[in-house]
Amino acid sequence: MKSLTLERVSFWYPATEAPALRDVSLEVVQGEVVALVGAVGAGASTVLLAAGDLAPRLTGGRIAGTVSRRDRSAIVLPTPWTQVSGMAFTVWDEVAFGPANLGWPTHEIARQVDRAMAHLELGPLATRDPATLSGGELQRVIIAATLAMDSGLVLFDEPAAELDAEGASALWRLIRLLAKEGKAVLLATSALDALPDVADRVVWLEDGAVRAVGTPDLLADVAACDAGLGTSVATVWGASGLPGPYPLTVAHAVRQWR
Amino acid sequence: MTGRRLHPFTLLAIAGALPALAWILPAPIGGACTAAVAFVLTLIPGARLTPGASPGFRGIGVSPGSRPGLVVFRTALLTAVPFWVFLRLLHDVPTTIAIGLRITTMVASFVWLAATLAPDRLVEATVARGWSVTAAYLFAATITAVPTLRDRARRIVEAQRCRGLSPRGSLGNRLRALRALALPLVLSALHDVDERALALETRGMVSGARRTPLAPPPDSAVERAARWALLAACVAALIWRFK
Amino acid sequence: MEVIPALRFDGVTFSYGAVAVLRGLSFSIAPGERVALLGKNGAGKSTVVRLITGLERPGEGTVWVGDWNTRDCVPEQLARRVGSVFQHADQQLFARTVREDVSFGPRALGVGEQEVERRTDRALADLDLTAHAGHHPYDLPPALRKLAALAGALALEPGLLVLDEPTIGLDRALRARVTRALLDRSAGDVALLVITHDLTFAAETLERGLVLDRGSLACDESLAGLLGDVTRLEPLGLAPPPVAALSVALDLPGRPVRAADAARALARVARGRPGP
Repeated sequence: MKSLTLERVSFWYPATEAPALRDVSLEVVQGEVVALVGAVGAGASTVLLAAGDLAPRLTGGRIAGTVSRRDRSAIVLPTPWTQVSGMAFTVWDEVAFGPANLGWPTHEIARQVDRAMAHLELGPLATRDPATLSGGELQRVIIAATLAMDSGLVLFDEPAAELDAEGASALWRLIRLLAKEGKAVLLATSALDALPDVADRVVWLEDGAVRAVGTPDLLADVAACDAGLGTSVATVWGASGLPGPYPLTVAHAVRQWR
Repeated sequence: MTGRRLHPFTLLAIAGALPALAWILPAPIGGACTAAVAFVLTLIPGARLTPGASPGFRGIGVSPGSRPGLVVFRTALLTAVPFWVFLRLLHDVPTTIAIGLRITTMVASFVWLAATLAPDRLVEATVARGWSVTAAYLFAATITAVPTLRDRARRIVEAQRCRGLSPRGSLGNRLRALRALALPLVLSALHDVDERALALETRGMVSGARRTPLAPPPDSAVERAARWALLAACVAALIWRFK
Repeated sequence: MEVIPALRFDGVTFSYGAVAVLRGLSFSIAPGERVALLGKNGAGKSTVVRLITGLERPGEGTVWVGDWNTRDCVPEQLARRVGSVFQHADQQLFARTVREDVSFGPRALGVGEQEVERRTDRALADLDLTAHAGHHPYDLPPALRKLAALAGALALEPGLLVLDEPTIGLDRALRARVTRALLDRSAGDVALLVITHDLTFAAETLERGLVLDRGSLACDESLAGLLGDVTRLEPLGLAPPPVAALSVALDLPGRPVRAADAARALARVARGRPGP
């Protein structure tokens, strides 16, 4: 079942002539993880804002084309410190902030908050003041806070940016779990090497337009490697002059090598 | 430390009544009495220094080990001093004292309020009454803005010093330093306001939302009566003054 | 004659209140050396940066920047020798144009106007920012603002560059720009200390790894050796970056950790192999 559909969407930020998005069409199905990849400025963040009904409603600007959503959406921005409520002095309260704003009954709020905090392993931090947390800890809290809102469509913008290696692995595992639970996930990330294990489909954005859509194998294409969007393994393989197809991961490379 | 915490509306009522009475009652007695009350209040803040304490404490620089009452008192005093200097430049001594005491009451009341009022409790109390959460949030956000800006200012000062900026030296130097500190603070704060508005929407803060109160602060008949009494006292003073 | 290290930590202990953050930390970095400071969040890495820049003083032990003891210096003095970029440095920009902001540092140091121009131009060119020199910093996307902040540190032309997570939010092309700029400076004997959790960037740009674990040095050795060794990395909460993992898996000669080296090794081995 389709959770999100963008049909020929073009978008202009206020007072800008050049469109940030040009004729973008994509869809995300429930239970699927779709990753947006591209150079800085390619439009991935803008796609997420449009998908989350934040652009143009809150950002201003002009949109053409249609965005249809079947489920409520929630978004994790790349700057967790802006998403902090400022109203909560414990991590538990911070995670409960969103659900409380949705007007749910208290027992439901408690259930969602406890579940989200367990997912993100935030138990030890439950009584800490969000203002004292490190960037990585805060990012996990905001992710939990977003999950606690139990939306059908979850949007992530560079969610692993502030996380260390362990935190990032845990996050990718969590994203797969969300898809398994039936949520639709749309994710913008520059962590290309993680995508073969995380994403079901990859959308390559270039200058605001969709250049290619496919499985993560896309990241081993010659074109992607030339554009700097190949996985590390594929890029090295290509640079060595060996013939295609390039392997996507170390495991693929080992198989191909034999 | 006091046991039970006062209801946020009671705190607002006190912080509003004191300055009102300061201006209504005849100077300098009125101003002196209300200022005295305000300063006494700063010495016995009604909040606890635990998770859930007011962020005003953080903004004012209370750290573990310091005595919060004295810090709030000192902050109120230091904030009021520049006004006295300014007034003395403009007016003669009696007028300075008259106006100065009134302004001091306002300052001390506000500082006390910022240190005592927990924004989350205010929002909870407002929501429990069924009123709009966004209005309460906006007011509360102004209190939490102070420690946030303070933290950011500190980070910017540090970054600029590490680029060779010296906050000491000649007047020209200091003015240049000020610009290098104030501009990034304002610019990044404004930039943040934009992002915050968007980010808060993502947390479900939409106008018209009916928020669930998670922990509504308890209110008592005594406090409600006290609030009405304060209001009545202000009205009575007003009537008496202009009879 | 013995070369004075660009940076030396001598038994440094530091606590925030009652919490010990660094315990007996000792290491030194020679001019031109490129060092990664690795470790989990909370291991004490940012504190190391604060001690180097003079924003904090060690509880015990000494931090030497060249022959200066940081206890005797204030941050604005240390700026003559240390160029630092903190996380979220894009929030410190304030000038009307990128050029004005980048030239702020050298101007504050008091070098002549011509020298300020030269240093600014060089820093902007190194990071390919010359085209944006006349733009307002807040008109740039956050990624380019980060580069502008880095240019500001480069323009100080210090003997030691200390960077805290310089590649967050950058795509591969921009990360490559940073790598080039840093390698270029290091060739001129500038020492680098970079906090990063991007091990791919570390492999491409840096040569030695210091791993902090709960305030002590768990490891101090060449990155080439460290990055391919899963058994050493795992207990430190780190994972081998893909190129290093590839080298190990395919048993490439020299176990290269940098992409270009791995590509060459791969090509060499492939040429030498019998056909399928």
